[in-house]
Amino acid sequence: MTEPFFDHFAAQANSQPDAPALIWEGEAISYGELAEMAASAHAEIEASSLPEDSPVGIRARKSPEAIALILACLQAQRPFLLPSVELAPETLGKLFAQAGVSRVLEPHGPRSESASLRAIEETPSEDDELSQWPPAGGGEDISFMLTTSGSTGLPKVVPLPAGAVDRFTDWAASQFDIRPGTVVANYAPLNFDLCLLDIWTTLKHGGCVALVDQDRATNGGYLADLITANEVNVLQAVPMLYRLLIDVTREDGRNFPSVKHAITTGDKIPATSLEALPVLFPNGRFYNIYGCTETNDSLIHEFQGLADGQVPTNVPVGQPLPGVRTLIRTEAGEFLDGTGTGELLVWTPFQTRGYLNAALNADRFATHPEAGNGETTYYHSGDVVRRHDDGSLTLEGRADFYVKVRGVRVSTQVVEQAIQEHPDVIEVAVVAVPDELAGKRLHAVLRREPDSKLNSLVLRKHCAERLARTEMPSTIEIVTEPLPKTSTGKIDRKLVLARLEEVTHANG
Amino acid sequence: MDETTAKIKQFIVDEFMPDVSVDELDSDFDLLTGGVVDSLGLLQVVAWLETEFDVGVDDSQLGPESFRTVDAIKTFVDEARGTANAG
Repeated sequence: MTEPFFDHFAAQANSQPDAPALIWEGEAISYGELAEMAASAHAEIEASSLPEDSPVGIRARKSPEAIALILACLQAQRPFLLPSVELAPETLGKLFAQAGVSRVLEPHGPRSESASLRAIEETPSEDDELSQWPPAGGGEDISFMLTTSGSTGLPKVVPLPAGAVDRFTDWAASQFDIRPGTVVANYAPLNFDLCLLDIWTTLKHGGCVALVDQDRATNGGYLADLITANEVNVLQAVPMLYRLLIDVTREDGRNFPSVKHAITTGDKIPATSLEALPVLFPNGRFYNIYGCTETNDSLIHEFQGLADGQVPTNVPVGQPLPGVRTLIRTEAGEFLDGTGTGELLVWTPFQTRGYLNAALNADRFATHPEAGNGETTYYHSGDVVRRHDDGSLTLEGRADFYVKVRGVRVSTQVVEQAIQEHPDVIEVAVVAVPDELAGKRLHAVLRREPDSKLNSLVLRKHCAERLARTEMPSTIEIVTEPLPKTSTGKIDRKLVLARLEEVTHANG
Repeated sequence: MDETTAKIKQFIVDEFMPDVSVDELDSDFDLLTGGVVDSLGLLQVVAWLETEFDVGVDDSQLGPESFRTVDAIKTFVDEARGTANAG
């Protein structure tokens, strides 16, 4: 039995009470202060006589109070569901009901008063029949319950055992040298799995978290100032952050010498961004991390020689983290030994035992025999990868990004990749538009560099060298405005498609 | 550039690549491989040729090869007109 997460944090608060734990709105909050806020929240949870062993819900935007509230739940060893606050109230209600939460907690009050919490009046416990709690395998050791992004239907609840969180936070600390004195920027919203690295690894190991205010997450100037002012050492974010920094520093010429580790994750980083990283972070090492909420970080690739122009157009997904196992399953359902493509299956020491709603596990979790003996429950990622001669893996695309164009299977991500390789392209989305005759036809929307003369003919010549006829977009739209993004900073292809269909209807 | 080639280029650009200027479209650019004209686009091209140049397009002639480049389309038009004049 490992030492509970909270004990590690408490030990940091004891040994270095004056060291900064959080930076919020330019102000430092010390380990001592954060521990007091957590203690006060913990006292309120204990006093509110919640049913034993039942989870609580946390509805909170990122703030020091919210972090203190989570610490209090960790101290009480009470499972908690932490969904996105951006979700519709009805969806939130369903999620809380599904998790069987006895109370939804919300932090409140300025720090000067207290870090107290407020139970929200409408507790959803009447919907008992919806409750899926406890998860298969038991709920005793569950700490965080995160949710998937829920691109279709209700987000799935992912309960994480305390041991999984413990192992992950230890790996992350050793990989990125997170310890007292290290400053880690936190870009993602509080409910994201990425916070297990930015926030929770850092607080466990005595570093300082510089919190990005969610409302200013797309303001390049603010982000650059935050990194500079707090001398951030570790930075983990979706590619969008790097693009924002590149754009803002192009104007003022500054760079970020304090950053030692810059991690990109969650989406494919364009080559045009990658090649700018060594200028942005002259002392940095650069990584791509592959992972998902279900398994947490699974594979890592460190870029070598970016400064010398060795910029891969197709970013390798990387090597398994220590203890991580992978399999590649072909379309025929066989496991791939040599080169080829197939769906990536992953098992990690950090993973969930399955969704809270066990009925959802069938498609995603499956047990496969190991070569030696025994068997392992792998997560079916839905990502199609290619294994090359040298054993390295690259992402071919999401299994669900494959569409049929005139009867031929085409990956819209392969098309995006080819377009992205043009040096004047900042970002691109390729969507499949329903077409009476072709089934689907491909439409590409791309944003070009402001001073570029790129047009559809130049781009078609570029693509003709890289793509099959069936992969060639039927229509190409070139814009200079940023493409629409989801709350996670990924290109919102659904919105791109919806806008396109609106225009088509308006014209038709 | 002769008048026929100019008209063909103008049509291709107007219909399929409105963001491109006529000068940029080379007469030997492969319109099919480049994805500019697909099988539906071909029908549009043929319909336009029939009205613009008053040529009949025989189904048997309707192979994509005849429409692969601006040059190929021009050759097709010249030949079709030649046939019409002779007949």
